[in-house]
Amino acid sequence: MNSMRVVDAAAPATSPLVALMTPATAPLLTRGAFADGQPDPITAVLAQVPELFDVALPFIGATLGPSFVPLRAKEIVILRTSALLECEYCVGAHTVVATDAGLGHDEVRALRAELDWVAVFTDNAERALIGWIDAIALGRGRVDESIATAMTDHWDDPAVVEITVLIGTTMMLNRLCTGLGLPPGADTLERLSTDGFSA
Amino acid sequence: MSAIAEAIDAGTLPGRVWMYADYHCNLACTYCLTESAPGVSKRLLDPDEMIRIAREAAELGYRDIGITGGEPFLLRHLPETLAAVSEYLPTLVLTNGTLFNETRLAELAPLARLPVALQISLDSPDPDVNDEMRGPDNFATVIDAIPRLRDLGITVRIATTGEPDRLDEDDHARLCALHRELGVPDEDHIVRPIVRRGRAADVGLGQDFAPEQIPAELCISVDGAFWSPFGPTVRGGELDTDLLISRTTAPLSRPANLLLRLIQGRLPGDAAAIGIR
Ligand code: SF4
Repeated sequence: MNSMRVVDAAAPATSPLVALMTPATAPLLTRGAFADGQPDPITAVLAQVPELFDVALPFIGATLGPSFVPLRAKEIVILRTSALLECEYCVGAHTVVATDAGLGHDEVRALRAELDWVAVFTDNAERALIGWIDAIALGRGRVDESIATAMTDHWDDPAVVEITVLIGTTMMLNRLCTGLGLPPGADTLERLSTDGFSA
Repeated sequence: MSAIAEAIDAGTLPGRVWMYADYHCNLACTYCLTESAPGVSKRLLDPDEMIRIAREAAELGYRDIGITGGEPFLLRHLPETLAAVSEYLPTLVLTNGTLFNETRLAELAPLARLPVALQISLDSPDPDVNDEMRGPDNFATVIDAIPRLRDLGITVRIATTGEPDRLDEDDHARLCALHRELGVPDEDHIVRPIVRRGRAADVGLGQDFAPEQIPAELCISVDGAFWSPFGPTVRGGELDTDLLISRTTAPLSRPANLLLRLIQGRLPGDAAAIGIR
């Protein structure tokens, strides 16, 4: 499968649909996130609604950040989901994070749907995980029983719950970034180029 | 007793809730924080919303209401809305004092029996100095309106806004003589500095303040809830958001509790350390 749109890094970046808050305009409840200058675009747009920011940022942090689910598995989830939803921002950012988390170049490319993941991922738990991600992120209605069974055979209940919430949260962020046209950062684009990935 | 009421009783949270009734004005003062003028976006707060805020403020334990703008008396519904709002809490309305013709005065007469006071701006004892900032004939119009309001039995306060160097001791003494002559006692005359926001910032007037230096009065506008009536100001036609607390204003307890949390020092943003990419 290779449904992901490849972006021309040289194309002029479009402006986001809504204003990114800045250190000068950041509302009181969001001020800490702007203390060291301009934060990432997701933080900067969420600051438009401070009362939402106030609960969303800790939630996103708890969901995407370090937890009992291994970092490698979490990055598989985030990158794969973002690739399925064709989110340029999240695919770019998490290509870098996944690489830093120890995933190999071919593994990252497979998650980005640029290689056949079945050929690249041989561990059964990770195969079950990717099957689960694809079913949750792309599917409708009940998940196929064989996919669900494979998942619960390899992952315990708390992990299944957290991974599923992580897929959903990543999808929410994917749609936020894509819908609002958040541009990948210059440092991300530079790193992708250095590591031999398309933007 | 709500946490809000306890904080107000303890003096850690100011007891007044402000509302921006509108943003348009028949004047266009040089230092206006909201860039108000006749043609600007009105950003109206619905009268039912104003009454709802007053009711919930009373339930939460707030002590009084302040209504500002823009010029609130440009709103035809205001006398009626003030009567309803003041059923819940004593109400102070900030006005430029220039719209009180016979018709308007007749509409205001019933307010004399209610806990409603008007605070009228008067910036100098000298008509030309006052009018330079507030527009032609402002001094004469205000001086005419104050006794007529007082004759109705309405409590009038006077607010003087200005740069310290524009109001020396002599000016101050003459201004006080004037307000006493108009029947406004000393305790109902306030002098306040210009805050460097809105049009004042454009022309380099006033002083900069950190939020911590401004009383943490909850202020509701059509755009959300803010820290102080100095929060929802306008610069270059854009709403200032640096003192925004929340976009959500109903129920009032939601922004009120966020404000309480802010003043209790649980400052936000720690969550930002999570480093979302
Ligand atoms: S300062 Fe008051 S009276 Fe003057 S323009 Fe602004 S809202 Fe109107």
